[in-house]
Amino acid sequence: MKTEERRSFGNEEIRTIIMTAITGGAFGLLYGYGFEFSLWLGVLVGALFGVAIGFRISKRPPRMEYPMAIFRRIMMAATFFLLTSFGYSYLLDQNLSQAQQYWAAALPLLGWSALIVGIGMAIASLDEMQRRIQTEAIAIGFAGTAIFVGGYALFQFSGLPEVNVGIVIMAMSVFWLAGKLWTLWRYR
Amino acid sequence: MKSKLKIFRAERDWSQAQLAEALGVSRQTINAIETGKYDPSLPLAFKMAQLFECSIEDIFIPDEN
Repeated sequence: MKTEERRSFGNEEIRTIIMTAITGGAFGLLYGYGFEFSLWLGVLVGALFGVAIGFRISKRPPRMEYPMAIFRRIMMAATFFLLTSFGYSYLLDQNLSQAQQYWAAALPLLGWSALIVGIGMAIASLDEMQRRIQTEAIAIGFAGTAIFVGGYALFQFSGLPEVNVGIVIMAMSVFWLAGKLWTLWRYR
Repeated sequence: MKSKLKIFRAERDWSQAQLAEALGVSRQTINAIETGKYDPSLPLAFKMAQLFECSIEDIFIPDEN
């Protein structure tokens, strides 16, 4: 039964678009700094991209309708994470002492913590079946990452090159997404 | 577990979204319960029984093994 209906724009939608624009801007700032082109251009393009995503989400919300306030809270945490990552990149280029570099490296961890708290709060607000979907997706993500990391370590002993530890996050995200799609399909 | 949720809902002419809102869950959850892909928790089953003014056994039928 189709219950989805097109929504008119109100305060809720405008707040969502503003939040995605800010997150997009923060992403653009980090991207612009990382790839050494104009920061303003990065912020502008990122913000416009954010507006487009916010507009799309507000106009036609995803199939699993989370309250938009939760989505905005996650975006806020993501913005904080992106800004702390930008701060880290900026500070590392400032000829800091070794001790100061360690402190700078700890900066994005604050952003990570905010992101984890935001995601945790989002999961806590889900209903029982949505929570089961998330739990199963996380379990698949965890198991997949363990197999990937363990498997790669064995191949590494056989001569494969060492990889950046950041690939673990990437693998975790890919396996979580695969798990989410699988469980969504199961309970469709 | 099979459920007669769809019948109860149809009797009242409610949409899945309306029932979901009354129970405080997502529409997807109602759909999964109706199609037998998800068994609700006891508190949710009690909530349904309360809403439809019947017992849990009236709504849900256990699988015969």
